[in-house]
Amino acid sequence: MLGDREKIMATELYNKLIELIIVQAEELNEGLKIQIDVAAGENAALFGEGGVLKSIELVNLIVAVEQAVEDEFNVFLTLADEKAMSQKKSPFRTIGALAAYIEKRMQEES
Amino acid sequence: MITFLRNAFEANIDNDALVWQNQVYKYNDLLTALDYWSSHLENAKVGPNQVVALEADFSPNALALMLALIDRRCVIVPLSSTVASQKNEFCRIAEVEQIISVNADDEVNIIVTNQSVINPLNQKLKELKHPGLILFSSGSTGKSKAALHDFVPLLEKFKIPRKTLRTLAFLLFDHIGGINTLFYTLANGGCAVTLKERSPEAVCKAIQDHKVELLPTSPTFINLLLLSEVWKNFDLSSLKLVTYGTEVMPPATLQRFHNLFPNIKLQQTYGLSEIGILSSKSRSPDSLWVKIGGSGITYRIVDGILHIKTPSAMLGYLNAQSPFTEDGWFDTGDQVEVDGEYIKILGRKSEIINVGGEKVWPVEIENVLLTMSGVEDVAVTGRANPITGQMVQARVKLSTDESLSDFRKRMRQYCKDKMPAYKIPQQVILENEGFHGGRFKKIRRQI
Repeated sequence: MLGDREKIMATELYNKLIELIIVQAEELNEGLKIQIDVAAGENAALFGEGGVLKSIELVNLIVAVEQAVEDEFNVFLTLADEKAMSQKKSPFRTIGALAAYIEKRMQEES
Repeated sequence: MITFLRNAFEANIDNDALVWQNQVYKYNDLLTALDYWSSHLENAKVGPNQVVALEADFSPNALALMLALIDRRCVIVPLSSTVASQKNEFCRIAEVEQIISVNADDEVNIIVTNQSVINPLNQKLKELKHPGLILFSSGSTGKSKAALHDFVPLLEKFKIPRKTLRTLAFLLFDHIGGINTLFYTLANGGCAVTLKERSPEAVCKAIQDHKVELLPTSPTFINLLLLSEVWKNFDLSSLKLVTYGTEVMPPATLQRFHNLFPNIKLQQTYGLSEIGILSSKSRSPDSLWVKIGGSGITYRIVDGILHIKTPSAMLGYLNAQSPFTEDGWFDTGDQVEVDGEYIKILGRKSEIINVGGEKVWPVEIENVLLTMSGVEDVAVTGRANPITGQMVQARVKLSTDESLSDFRKRMRQYCKDKMPAYKIPQQVILENEGFHGGRFKKIRRQI
């Protein structure tokens, strides 16, 4: 029972994070020639295979997302660190992957 | 040791030497104070040849004590109130044997410490029976280093008579620029106007009330002065020359000052605690290109870094490795551009930010951001980031209540055609306070 409840909570958090990342992606898009396809939601490609961002643009997005997470949840995360770089699958592939990674990190922090 | 100064004082006996707390002191007063302290120091067994801290700001007794201590061949460690919290540490590093404190009312107190002098450089000066000077670098990055100077070569350049202006003692008592101002003024029978505080308002008022002609200051203070707009309430018509050094001048600030005060000459100076102040000449008042030199001074540029050789260089650091090359060149750590006989200081090599292999100078980013409306102050630094090695972080003080998100958008838009993407700050932090310390020099590192 408890497992299910946790899952529902996590899903809510995940959805919230997707929204939060999309807001930041839209802000970044204003200055981009090739934009993040925010309409694709969690499947929108960011960096790496099929991704649209250059490394410096990815840094911009990540830092803005870190800031938004801090504002929204009062949790300070450094998303681009050794931990992120050593994940089997890059947490920066898609908006969904990033949201899942933040969710995981937030749970580790709490 | 200070005969040439005494001679200058006697030649100017009725001239103003110092304005302190709105009161004028003549050279005659300074001579009287000098005689008093010379005999008092002897009676109190301060020196000869001791390391003595002089905790003071510019005041009649502080000046007289400084001169009397030189005459007694002491090594002087000037300390201003901005370093109060580091006083004990500085006294330990400098191996201070006696501490003379001059308070805000010009009252003097002498304390004997139980420290002994063992540093070979300090001992060397004792053996030479030369007076010395220990200056602590303000250390915009890293810890303070104690630079020991032999006072004899340092005083040499003041023996050449030059014309003098009524000068505001803006730079602090324990700063190479402040020391330079003091000796330059006194050696030429000029007048130093002292300040109780160093706010734009107090500075403007002192200029107006005491007909100050020369303001030696920093780009950070000039920026603050322009932003405050308090200059509108004062008559600054006596001001002829503003000199600025200690850090890189933002072109926007320079241009704005020049437009507002076309009749005031702006002059860049170049100096470091380790080598003293060099003579310098700007190509034009609104130019950052400068020609440096002075008697016996030579320079060279190695891999874009300025190296200087000067007879008035320090003997060395008391608490760090010698920064001199074997043949006596001092590596300033300042990256420069060269155009014929002119150089332009780009900034400290140690402050370069490396974004994915691309070099970014904090100053060039700060200069662009400072031209944005609403931006009052900005400090740019590098922050570690595993994707690009480092990224550019800007801490910004706004004069409006614009949100971070709005500002960030506007900044990216504004910077887009002014710099490549990797230079546009990836991280922006809004701050409530400006970024300068008591010396009005930008402090980039976060405290």
